Amino acid sequence: MEKKTNRWGWAFLIVASAMIMIFSFYPMFSALIMSFKTGSSANMKWATPWYNNYLRMFKDKTFIMALKNTFLYLIIQVPVMLVLAILLAQLLNNPNLKCRGLFRTCIFLPCAISLVSYSLIFRTLFYDTGMINTILMKLGIIHENIKWLGQTGTARAVIITALIWRWTGYNMVFYLAGLQNLDYQVYEAAQIDGANGWKTFWHITVPQLRPVIIMTFIMSINGTLQLYDESVNLTNGGPAGTTMTMSHHIYNTAFQGKANFGYAAALSFVVFILVAILAAINLKVGDTRD
Amino acid sequence: MKKLFALLLTVAMVFSLMAMSGSAFADDGNTLTVYAWDANFNIPALKAAEAAFQKVHPDFKLDIATQSGSSDVEQAMTLAGSSGDVSSLPDIVLFQDHFIQSYVADYPDCWQSLEGADINWDDFGAEKLSYSTIDGVHYGAPVDNGTAIFAYRTDVLEQAGYTIADMTGITWDRWLEIARDVKAKTGFALLSMDHSGDDLPYMMMQAEGLSQWKDGKPNFVGNEPFQRIIEVIVQGAKDGTILLANSWSEYCDQTIVGNQTAGVMNGNWIIPTIRQVADNSGKWAITTLPTLDGGKEGYAANGGSSLYITGNCKNVDLAKEFLAYTFGGGEGAMETYDNALRDGGVITCCISAGQSDVYKEGIEYFGGQAIYSDIVGMGAHVPVIEQNDYHYTARTYIGNAITNIINGADLTTELQSAQDQVEFEMG
Repeated sequence: MEKKTNRWGWAFLIVASAMIMIFSFYPMFSALIMSFKTGSSANMKWATPWYNNYLRMFKDKTFIMALKNTFLYLIIQVPVMLVLAILLAQLLNNPNLKCRGLFRTCIFLPCAISLVSYSLIFRTLFYDTGMINTILMKLGIIHENIKWLGQTGTARAVIITALIWRWTGYNMVFYLAGLQNLDYQVYEAAQIDGANGWKTFWHITVPQLRPVIIMTFIMSINGTLQLYDESVNLTNGGPAGTTMTMSHHIYNTAFQGKANFGYAAALSFVVFILVAILAAINLKVGDTRD
Repeated sequence: MKKLFALLLTVAMVFSLMAMSGSAFADDGNTLTVYAWDANFNIPALKAAEAAFQKVHPDFKLDIATQSGSSDVEQAMTLAGSSGDVSSLPDIVLFQDHFIQSYVADYPDCWQSLEGADINWDDFGAEKLSYSTIDGVHYGAPVDNGTAIFAYRTDVLEQAGYTIADMTGITWDRWLEIARDVKAKTGFALLSMDHSGDDLPYMMMQAEGLSQWKDGKPNFVGNEPFQRIIEVIVQGAKDGTILLANSWSEYCDQTIVGNQTAGVMNGNWIIPTIRQVADNSGKWAITTLPTLDGGKEGYAANGGSSLYITGNCKNVDLAKEFLAYTFGGGEGAMETYDNALRDGGVITCCISAGQSDVYKEGIEYFGGQAIYSDIVGMGAHVPVIEQNDYHYTARTYIGNAITNIINGADLTTELQSAQDQVEFEMG
């Protein structure tokens, strides 16, 4: 009986593994090979030297700009978003709060909107004569339209704001789920011991939520490094390429104008390596097992 | 029960696999399939051609697969070319003029030339054909005409004390003066452009008969007319007389349809956008472009596409006959282009087809001006200039340079940096 079960187990496993091999690992391997090649995609030749595409990156000002932009988004947006998410989760986890469901839904709702749609909506809001400028003018806060998307600083700020708006609710849901698993007795004990809300939060909630926090961190880092829709649809990389992300640059290299698949594949591997390194650091830092 | 379910699943999978492996297009000897992308512009033109050709070929059918944009067609060609399998392609594709040279060079198997088709090539503007002719071989049947126009709001000009004649054949310096005056008196800007894909430098250079390219290399640094053109754009942007929008939709919806600008300079395909504002009927007029030194009128073209036979077309003779009879200036050309103009606003670059009565009609929206025959006439004057596969790359980096110069960077440094980056992408 056990033998038979095992045989079936392997049979199912082989099918699944074969599919992963064919549709996931094989393309990844091909992309690695491709990243050492150059030329039009119908007729690719080995680059000379074979790692030339990787050397090329250091001379690619657009890529370096995109790398800086992406890390800027990462450094500012991810901590702000996660702190907001955890605070909101804490607030909405309060059993005495009325209309909890409504608030939770409202905060989660942005996640139901497609990335392209919300990027386009943000772009419309921040037009030179768009809604934001009109409101600010009417309120008398500004006297001349701000070129939100025409200046580097404001354009980056708009992207970061949009990202926070879109993703905070998503992360909040994970924290809420995490919070609901915490034993309420621990909090009661803390209260009896005289811990205030802030202390309870830092010494009881955060340590117990650690696995969830690490997971959201890794997901957010991964997501931010692959940021694409906002850069393309909200600012189209502008002004002067100062809001372009790495994925946007990869897309442009591969699919806009003259295709350069070899170089685009090399760039993708750099993003892949960066994600891996950051995730490894994150796991290492977050791991408290001795 | 479980077994039945498993069986059903298996059957469903097998069927879907079979469905996928089948050929995408039927082949009955009378049908041609084509990719095109604009339901308001080039698709009506293709339908007009189909109807015209059916008069001599009653069984003929054109199967038009509407794509969401020109880049879909480019990606279909890239996919077919990279995989070496052209069977996924339709018989004919509409393709952007600026990209065709590099696609034919990179993926030769994806294309078949129009050699032997019964087309009188002298009947077309030379500039248009310069894109679709590769090593002296004609590949494309021209569809639309990208001739650039400069459209002005005559009522706004009048309010500031100018006429359309004052705007014709002038220098850019004079234009800047007038623009400042118009801005001061009426609040209108006199030009706008989508700065995320800024075609102004290209069109302004072409109006001079000059190129941003020299011997296949970018020629920005030390190119004196080019620097002067950039200075004009920067000056206009600083004066607020040239509005540089951050996206295509902002350009169309806010600056043009939103009545912020009294002047529009672009390929004539921008006309439908201008006409979206019904209240402005009768207030617009078109003319040619200013030039740096004046004394002449500037002619340029921007954008446009042609029809190409792909490597997958089995019925090449029918495809050639169809293209020659309709878009190629054959007997059905007049009918094709007349209906293409009526239904889609597609303006021909076929000189003889532009002589039809439909073209000579005065257009009420443009104050009764016969703009279509004017545009066909302008198209014949557009100078042929050196083109490059990296046209859009150059456009991006020049646009970036302009942004930086407006924000205070040095012109020479920025042009050098743009040139370096274009050379980097080419190398």
